[in-house]
Amino acid sequence: MPIRERQQKRTPRKTGTSSQGKPSGNRKPSPKKKSPGRFATELVGRVGELRLDYAKPDRRTIISHSYFTTPWKLLPPIYLDDTGTAYTLLVNPSGGLVGGDRLSIDMNLNRDAHVLISSPSANRVYRTEGKISEQHINITVGSGAILEWLPEHTIPFAGSRFRQILHATLAPGATLLLWDAVASGRIAREERWAFTDLENEIRITTASGSSLLERYVLDPASDLGCVGLADEWNYVASFYVVNDAVAPEVWSRLESKIAPILDERPGHVLGGVSTPTVPGVAVKLLTQTAPDLIDMLDALWATIREELWNLPPVSLRKY
Amino acid sequence: MNTPALLEGLRFIDTFFPSGGYAFSSGLEAAIQGGAVRNSDQLARYVGDLLRGGMSRREAFAVKWANQAGADGNVSLADEVDRELDATKLSRESRMASRQMGRQVIRMAADQLRTKTVLGEYRDAIESERTPGHLAVCFGLTLGVSGWEPEATVAAFLYQTAVGFVSAAMRLSPIGQHEGQRMLSEWLPLIERISREVEVDTAMSSWSPIQDIYAMRHGRLEWRLFRS
Repeated sequence: MPIRERQQKRTPRKTGTSSQGKPSGNRKPSPKKKSPGRFATELVGRVGELRLDYAKPDRRTIISHSYFTTPWKLLPPIYLDDTGTAYTLLVNPSGGLVGGDRLSIDMNLNRDAHVLISSPSANRVYRTEGKISEQHINITVGSGAILEWLPEHTIPFAGSRFRQILHATLAPGATLLLWDAVASGRIAREERWAFTDLENEIRITTASGSSLLERYVLDPASDLGCVGLADEWNYVASFYVVNDAVAPEVWSRLESKIAPILDERPGHVLGGVSTPTVPGVAVKLLTQTAPDLIDMLDALWATIREELWNLPPVSLRKY
Repeated sequence: MNTPALLEGLRFIDTFFPSGGYAFSSGLEAAIQGGAVRNSDQLARYVGDLLRGGMSRREAFAVKWANQAGADGNVSLADEVDRELDATKLSRESRMASRQMGRQVIRMAADQLRTKTVLGEYRDAIESERTPGHLAVCFGLTLGVSGWEPEATVAAFLYQTAVGFVSAAMRLSPIGQHEGQRMLSEWLPLIERISREVEVDTAMSSWSPIQDIYAMRHGRLEWRLFRS
């Protein structure tokens, strides 16, 4: 089907360890099994898989099942307040992605689970001479469950090639807060919008089947794929909040509270907020500096938490 | 393209056609009030950037796709691209503007081209809210039914869009008709290139964050001439 991007086949080999339980799913033998040792040197640390299932058996949300392969590492969840929200860091200690890396995350939140996701540092994508670096994320959020997805931004280095595909599917009454940010490059090195290509796709699908879609393909060397007017800015970010059980007036109120935040730093931040085709709000913003970006995230996140759940912001203890 | 087909399609491109496009600025009004567009050079860059990054792989893609659906008489193809386009339109005002103009086009087309049953089917799907009915899709479908080639249909759609921006700019800023014609002339090679290069065997995509943000901001302007 041409309109939607075809899903690539998943790499069948697994290389790492399971922290809890066995990995699930059918496995097909890799054709490279015929040459022992070759697989280990070529793919270890290159094809990383992280699977996380969350459940809420009582007050707290826990990881009910997990599986990961290098370079992913998994730390136990942290509980930052008394809501039982499982704060989980996506830890990739390898330093970033290089050409040919293919990382995946499969995450499932069962009914009423509340999960907060972030990462310890920016997602760095290194220069490659050919192969693309990929990150595929599939998320399902069960009925009544809440996922706050707030990873650090991606930094595509000069000459890098990166593709991120994030698909989230929401059950009735599920809530998703999704932040996604990309830097122009290593700005301190005056390396801006110098990657070879960058592709980003975010699709959020609600129980009714309707979707919100952000997909861009940047290829600065080409005419139709150039960065254009945005090259005067250093960071571009999106913040989506979706829940099909929230009344429309709540989204209107949230939109009214977010709009003035986006106007607080004229010349340093340019942002807009609106209601997308799915029930929720969509925010897009550009900033000149990382502190502006982080401040915007903090302010928006705090506003959303207060409006939706009357909860105060929590400190992610990273800085 | 034969002359009857040309004339049939021209009606839908002409500014005389009552699509209601004169009421929408696609965020340009917010960009002008926000200081992003102060003169004709900035307007030329703003619109050229939108045509190139924002519309070439999204609206132009949808037009070309819908043109094929019209030529084949395949409503489900048009519906598929319509839903995808709807999902990408994050600004409420721009989304509703596109849907309103699309509805006007398909109503008129279905009413006047009665032998082309695909238009009536699609109009009914829109009226019963089974499909969004965005302008790019309704326009592409109508011209596809009328015998227009995909490239020509995309070119016509982008030209109509460019004229709409110039028209809005002339009401919002001190830009005259001569400057407007100069800008249109400068955009023609870009429009021709997009029409030729846009491919429908890839995925729909769009990159125009600045224009998207101004489209989102339009609804909060204290005073406005336009509805988007």
